[in-house]
Amino acid sequence: MQQHKALILRSNRFLGSYLVNKGLLSSADLDSANEKFMQAIRSPELLKNASILTTLLYDLKMLDEARLLDHIVEEYGIGLIDLNQVQLGSLPSTELDLSLCWASSTIPFDKVEETYMVATCYYLSEPVVRHWEGLLNGKVVWYGTSMASMSRGLERLEDVLAAEKAVAEGDL
Amino acid sequence: MAYSVLILDDDVDFNSLLTDIFEQADYIVTSLTDPTEALEVFRNTDYDLVVTDHKMPDMSGAEFMELIKHIKPEVPVIMVSGFMENDTIRSLISGGVGGVFLKPLNIFSMLDRTVELIDEAKRLKQNTQSYDVALNEGAAVEVEARGFPFGSFPCKSQSSIDFAERLYNLRNFKSTLSLIGEPGTQFRLICEDIRNFYENEKEHFIYLSSGSFDAEQVLSMVEKAKLFKAERVTCVLLGVESMTGAQKRLATVLSKCVGVFESIDIPLRTIFCANGDLDALYDEGRIDEDLYILMGTAEVCVPALRDCVLDIAVLAQQMVVDIIREKGMSTVSRFEASARDFLSKQPWDNNYEQLRLTVRQVMESNPGEVLMLSAVTSALQSAMLASPRARFEARLSRARVDYVRATSILLGGDKAKVAAFFGTDTTVVGATLK
Repeated sequence: MQQHKALILRSNRFLGSYLVNKGLLSSADLDSANEKFMQAIRSPELLKNASILTTLLYDLKMLDEARLLDHIVEEYGIGLIDLNQVQLGSLPSTELDLSLCWASSTIPFDKVEETYMVATCYYLSEPVVRHWEGLLNGKVVWYGTSMASMSRGLERLEDVLAAEKAVAEGDL
Repeated sequence: MAYSVLILDDDVDFNSLLTDIFEQADYIVTSLTDPTEALEVFRNTDYDLVVTDHKMPDMSGAEFMELIKHIKPEVPVIMVSGFMENDTIRSLISGGVGGVFLKPLNIFSMLDRTVELIDEAKRLKQNTQSYDVALNEGAAVEVEARGFPFGSFPCKSQSSIDFAERLYNLRNFKSTLSLIGEPGTQFRLICEDIRNFYENEKEHFIYLSSGSFDAEQVLSMVEKAKLFKAERVTCVLLGVESMTGAQKRLATVLSKCVGVFESIDIPLRTIFCANGDLDALYDEGRIDEDLYILMGTAEVCVPALRDCVLDIAVLAQQMVVDIIREKGMSTVSRFEASARDFLSKQPWDNNYEQLRLTVRQVMESNPGEVLMLSAVTSALQSAMLASPRARFEARLSRARVDYVRATSILLGGDKAKVAAFFGTDTTVVGATLK
C-alpha cells in the first residue's frame, strides 16, 4: 500500500478541494476530515482505509452520499452501479493490483473487447481518473458507486482473487 | 460594412490605378492629388486607412503622415513609392507607417495588409474604449458594481473577475487559505485586498516570509496585534516553498495553533502563498505531505497576467499613477494606444513584478505626458535583461531548472537519484530546485 501513498494523498486532496469548491462541503469540515485522514496516512495499519470520503460519510457524518452521487450524475452524466449485483473477478489479460483498487476506491469490474467498465467512489478526484485511464490505455467507461458497495466489493474481490490464485496454484 | 480609404498621389494615372484597386475590393475611396487639400479633407472626414505616395513635389509622404498622425494617430497609413532606401523604409515604419509597398505593386499583399491594419485599428479602438471606461469611471463605480473593493487586479478580464469573486466568497475562511500563483505574483497586495474585505478595524494581518518567520517573531507580532485591539489575526506566509524545513514544520504547527503557538489566545488563521503548482512542489519535495494536504483545504489559483489581458494596460496605468504620487509629480502620464496594446500582448513570465519593473523603468526615463511604445519596448528589454548573451543564459538556466525538476518528479523527489542521473551531487540539485 505504501507504494500508492502519493496517489492516496493526491486523490484525497483533490476530492476535498473539489467538494469545497462546489459548495458540497465547508472548509472547516474538510479541515477536520483532513486531520483524521493524516492520522490514517501515518499509520501502516490504517493506510489501506485512509480516505477523507469515508471519514466525511461515516466518522464525521458531514457529507450526504446520496447528494454526492446525484451531483456526479447531474454534472458528469455517468451511470451508477451497485457492485453487490456484479460478479467480480480477474479480467481477461489484465493484472489487477488490489492494493491500487483499495488506495483509489476503484474496481475495474468488466471488460468488453478493449473497453473496461470501472466503478469508483473517487470520480470527482482527477488523479484517480487520470491514473486508471493511463493504466487502462484510456478505454474506460466510468460508473459511480457508493462507499458501502465499494468496500463490500473490494472485500469480495480480495476473496475471489485469492480463490482464483489458489485454483491456479492447485492446477500447477 | 464598407471601409473608407483616402488615397493621395500626385501622379494622376497611378492615383486612378490605386482608386480602381480599392474600389474593386469594395472600399469607399476618396482620391486626391494635393497633400494640403488631403490634409483638410482628412481632418473633417473619418477614414479607416490612408494610402499615400512618398515622393510628391510640395510635401513628402513622410511629412504628410507626420501631420495626419497628429490629427488622428489611430488611422493606419500605407506608403507607396517607386524606390526607397532600406533605411528610409525602416525609419518610416518606426515613424508609424503600417506598410510600405514599392512599384510595381503587389496588389494582393497590399489589400491583405489593408485588411490587417484596419482590423488592428478597430481592435485598438475597442481596447482604448474599455481602457478609458476603466480609468474614467473610477474605482468607486466598480466597487459599487462588484460589491466589494479589490485593488490587486483591475478586474477587466473574466479570470480576474472570477478570482476576485472566489476570494471574496472565501473571505471568512476559518483556518487556512492557500494562494497559488506563478513567479512574480503580487501575493502581498492580494492579501491586503482580503484584509480590505472587512470594514472592521479589528482584523489584523501579519506578513511573514523566509527571512522573518520564526516562532518568536510570530508571538511578538500577535502580542502587538492584541495591543491594537485585534480580535483575529491572519498570518500570511509568503513564499512557503522557499522556506527552510524547520519553517515549513512551523507553518504547519502555526496553522493548527498547537505546540509553541498553543498560548495564542485570539482566533488565528493562516494564508499560505506559494509560487508554483502544489503537486509539482510536493513531487519535488519542496513541501511535505502535511503542508500538501493542509494547503489543499481551500486553494485558490491566482491568474497569471497573460490570462488577464484586459487588465494589463489598466494595471500599468495604475502603477504610473502610484509612481506619480510617490514622486510628487504634477501631471499624469498616459500610455499611448500602441503602447497599451504592446503591454497587453506580452507573456509577462514574471507576472506583476515584471510589469511593475517595466513601468518603473519607463517612468524613470522622464517620458513626459505620453508614454510611447518605444519607451515601453526599451524598458521591457532592459527589464528582461540587457544583452542577448544574458538573455540566452537566462533561457538555458530556465531549461536546466525545468530538466532537473522533471527528473526530480519522475524519480520521486529523491535528490540522490537525481544527482546520480545528472552525474552531479545533491547540493547542486538542491540549489537548482531551490
